Amino acid sequence: MTRKQKRLSVIGGGLLVLGVAAALVLFALQQKIAFFRMPSDIQTSDMQSESRFRLGGLVEKGTVIRGEGTKVSFSVTDHVKSVPVTYDGILPDLFREDQGVVIEGRFLPGGAFVADSVLAKHDENYMPKEVADSLKAKGVWQGESKQ
Amino acid sequence: MTVELGHFALVLALALSIVQAVLPVVGARRNDDRMMAVAVPAAFTVFALIALSFAALTAAYVLSDFSVQNVWENSHSQKPLLYKFTGVWGNHEGSMLLWVLILSFFTALVAFFGNNLPPALKANVLGVQAWIGSAFLLFIVATSNPFARINPAPIEGQDLNPILQDIGLAVHPPMLYLGYVGFSVCFSFAVAALIDGRIDAAWARWVRPWTLTAWLFLTGGIAMGSYWAYYELGWGGWWFWDPVENASFMPWLAGTALLHSALVMEKRSALKIWTILLAIMTFSLSLLGTFLVRSGVLTSVHTFATDPGRGLFILAILVLFIGGSLALFAWRSQTLAPGGLFQPISREGALVFNNLFLTTAAATVLIGTLYPLLLESLTGEKISVGAPFFNLTFGPLMIPLLAAVPFGPLLAWKRGDILAVAQRLMTAFFVALIVVAIMLYRTSAPGVLAAFGIGLAVWLMLGALTDLALKAGIGKAPVNVLVQRVVGLPRSVFGTALAHFGLGVTLLGIVATSTFATENVLVMKPGDTIDAGGYTLRFDRIDPVKSSNFTEDQGQFTILDSAGQEVTDLMSAKRFFPVRKMQTTEAGIRTFMFSQLYVSLGDPVKDGVVVRVWWKPLVTLIWLGALVMMAGGGMSLLDRRLRIGAPARARTEKARATA
Amino acid sequence: MIFWISAALLTVGATLLVLLPLTRRVKAPVSDNQYDVEVYRDQLRELDADEQRGLIDSVSGEQARAEIGRRLLKSAKAAQADATIVRPQKSATREWLTLATVLAIPLISWGIYTKLGSPDLPAQPLAERLAKPADQSTPAELIARAEAHLMLNPDDGQGWEVLAPIYLRLGRPADAVTAYQNAIRLNGDSAARQLGLGEAMAAAANGKITPEAEAVFRHALELDPKDMRPQFYIIDGWMQQGRLAEARDLIRKLLVEAPADVPWRDQAQAALTRLDQEIAGDAPDVSDVEKTGPDASQVEAAAGMSGQDRAEMIEGMVASLAEKLKQSPDDIEGWERLVRSYVVLNRPNDAIEALDRAKKVLSADKAAKLDAVAEDLGLAVELEKD
Repeated sequence: MTRKQKRLSVIGGGLLVLGVAAALVLFALQQKIAFFRMPSDIQTSDMQSESRFRLGGLVEKGTVIRGEGTKVSFSVTDHVKSVPVTYDGILPDLFREDQGVVIEGRFLPGGAFVADSVLAKHDENYMPKEVADSLKAKGVWQGESKQ
Repeated sequence: MTVELGHFALVLALALSIVQAVLPVVGARRNDDRMMAVAVPAAFTVFALIALSFAALTAAYVLSDFSVQNVWENSHSQKPLLYKFTGVWGNHEGSMLLWVLILSFFTALVAFFGNNLPPALKANVLGVQAWIGSAFLLFIVATSNPFARINPAPIEGQDLNPILQDIGLAVHPPMLYLGYVGFSVCFSFAVAALIDGRIDAAWARWVRPWTLTAWLFLTGGIAMGSYWAYYELGWGGWWFWDPVENASFMPWLAGTALLHSALVMEKRSALKIWTILLAIMTFSLSLLGTFLVRSGVLTSVHTFATDPGRGLFILAILVLFIGGSLALFAWRSQTLAPGGLFQPISREGALVFNNLFLTTAAATVLIGTLYPLLLESLTGEKISVGAPFFNLTFGPLMIPLLAAVPFGPLLAWKRGDILAVAQRLMTAFFVALIVVAIMLYRTSAPGVLAAFGIGLAVWLMLGALTDLALKAGIGKAPVNVLVQRVVGLPRSVFGTALAHFGLGVTLLGIVATSTFATENVLVMKPGDTIDAGGYTLRFDRIDPVKSSNFTEDQGQFTILDSAGQEVTDLMSAKRFFPVRKMQTTEAGIRTFMFSQLYVSLGDPVKDGVVVRVWWKPLVTLIWLGALVMMAGGGMSLLDRRLRIGAPARARTEKARATA
Repeated sequence: MIFWISAALLTVGATLLVLLPLTRRVKAPVSDNQYDVEVYRDQLRELDADEQRGLIDSVSGEQARAEIGRRLLKSAKAAQADATIVRPQKSATREWLTLATVLAIPLISWGIYTKLGSPDLPAQPLAERLAKPADQSTPAELIARAEAHLMLNPDDGQGWEVLAPIYLRLGRPADAVTAYQNAIRLNGDSAARQLGLGEAMAAAANGKITPEAEAVFRHALELDPKDMRPQFYIIDGWMQQGRLAEARDLIRKLLVEAPADVPWRDQAQAALTRLDQEIAGDAPDVSDVEKTGPDASQVEAAAGMSGQDRAEMIEGMVASLAEKLKQSPDDIEGWERLVRSYVVLNRPNDAIEALDRAKKVLSADKAAKLDAVAEDLGLAVELEKD
């Protein structure tokens, strides 16, 4: 082979691999991703779609009901709307009422959500309110704005 | 005073770094030996100052000095001593300080071992290292100062996140940073070479030990992080394609490619442009990882704090260094002379193949990690890209690469004979095929892919052994000579074989665990039993236990073998940390050979407690394989070939110094 | 002072270390290309070794040798050419860069440090702070010491007993609950401890007498049936829940049973009358106890209390006022009272926060009025800072 042919074969092979990879990526991006929704931005089309969704929000107070065995149901809310969720499995350590949570799963036709995984948001800046207040008074810690 | 002295040392280190960033580089351009010589003492001094600063912060942690805001936010007087130490880098400010400490450590290492480097190259490398160092020191001083004080000091700290109170934290981030930051040296070598305009085979020879070192630590760091997540998070998973994991995995893929392409460049003076580009890309991916983790752009387990100011600063550093180096690359790379020629089927060809797949794989991971960010900023649509995406894109790319690995080391340079090599690999191939056949016969339909996966792992391991055996001249000499020859082989040959063998081991672990693991989630009452992996797990009772900074409910279990005999006990606990009002799960893990029984305690329910029981066959091989890979890297590093002498004068001067 | 001396020493030392090479002459510098030559020589040696071991065949060995040889020759030639490179011994650039360095190192480091550092603030290791004599310690340090002691000796009931009311007074009711519970567990049941626990639980619930707290008060009453305080808390709880008839009946019963000369008789009587009216529907807002100030029974109960208990009761009432304002925020008098109470209770942060909250919900003219009140109370300045 001449130098040119060699180079062409290497470049051709490279393009082939890149092409296959690009095709895989495009296919996977259409099929294998989960859309993120807060309860209030769920559309009717979402509920009918077969796609996977991640639902984020707070665990609504007073809605956690433990059923048989490891089954549990609760509502996820963003203080505008709430979505009933059912889940079968172990809840993460940080799962608490009024605590941020992200769940992944699918919608049932009725609009309920079946979760296959529940992730509680890690809140490492958790700070007891009293401490936060006294710090703010000292001007040391700005923290998040008061709601 | 110690605290303030630490603070001052940090600021002084910044000032010195700026000097180190300017003088040697100017000196190299003007052939001024004296100015170039500044780099070495500056590198040592900066390292000493940052180390002093780090020691001061550590002392503040150990002594619970809550007048330091960082200590107050992340420590607690009742915290076990070990975690007071590790708490230093368990937060944003401290971990950035560790980052620059390691950066300055590597710079000092280059200064120390750099006697064999041309003075101009050394001055430029140390100068570029100081550019990075100055930027990050400025970042720390301006946005993330760990030495901010509180007056009057609070009396008690706020504790370290309980999830981070773990021995894994003690080792995992420093190790990971050693890898991440280690690639800065490769980057600096690349930029220095571009500035200097002298890019040749010798350059590759000088940069290879640093690539190996960084790769070694990054491999260890990733493996350790994976094991940490596995046993600490209590989800039984060892890899989540979490953005932060990806952030460390991308530089690893690119770094592995660099390791291989630098080999071609050293031996054949080919792939020069590509290797330089890879060196830049690898560290750029490390920087990108730092940006993604530190800016809080991505929500992840590891995100310490969300602060847009910091994010912008790191983004600016990122743009400056990546953009700057790529511009320099574009400007200089055209001046490079073409290197040695080779046939597509050759050692070089195999290494190009390796590079092609590794970088493509890194690109798919990059797309999967950044696509959600991109889509959100363009359309506002929030998506998450998880394991399904990566399994579909990354997975298929790995299969041809792994299948080709055993061929690489056996092919000759320049032009190889693939048929001859295939013939030599026949034994390995047939054994792997038999393994596949057995697996197919024994497992049902879903195991088909797994059977081929395990076959691939066997192929990799046997391929590595074959390489070793052939290089020792098996079949050509009697056994006693053979042993002698094996011992006499260059260490880098062992290194290659070990690393490839380790890859096979890891693959075996991954395939076996992903396919044959069993999972049971159930409610157990005392006395209940569940079968897992040929053993029986019996739940005995819950013991409430109080410890210094947490209380826990310990679930006590007994493991019975198939004959009903008690083998060992096992404990899994739910811990509650009152200060942070946080709960964590301590998984109970027992290892049987290479497999593990993994028990994770859930919440109590009305008639018992939720228990999650996994049987993870061969799971420890995942990390053992990484250890073997690291051993391979270490072996190559010890090869005396990588220790090159300096020209005569330097050598005699050194001899005079020691005399 | 020691700090500044150390800092100065560090600065001088570091500067000298860096400057040293600038003053020293480099003897007979070797060309950079000579280093490349060295690498290629090594490669040739390795090639020989590999060939001897049979790792490569002689044909490719020969080819490789030729290739490396070419590189070696090229570098050697370049090294020779390098001999003509001018290596300046004297250089103006170097001189002014040296000067700049000498100036830059102290300027940058001291400049930034004096802006960011707190050179006068001593290190404050916890052990040292706790070892101070008790009379020099701040209350917070004393509490920390007690906490540290209890962390190591969690079975010291006496310690919990001492700490519990302190927690309650400091507005850490949740800790007070724990402390009281521990004291009860370790020191045994007593009416006083149960009463404290109940008060802590009520404080933790912002003054609301939860069913759990009510149960605790009932238990306290069982232990000491003569103590009036648990009764009043229970009555208070009932009134919060709108169980007015029950509250009235209990007050009536207490009045009947009590001797004629108890100090709280008049107030209780007044409370009774008011409750009667409310039940009859005369009072406009039945459940709003705060509107007309604390009800008679509470005032009366306060009269019979120690200073500490009274403070706690006031805290509880303030908390329930705050709660009420959350429900019906458009009540300027309520806000005024709340802010005033916080100031009186020496809780300026809460006062400011309440003011903030009020201004968000109130109309502009009312907010201005509230601001005037705040200014009178001396809050305005602190508000600016916030």
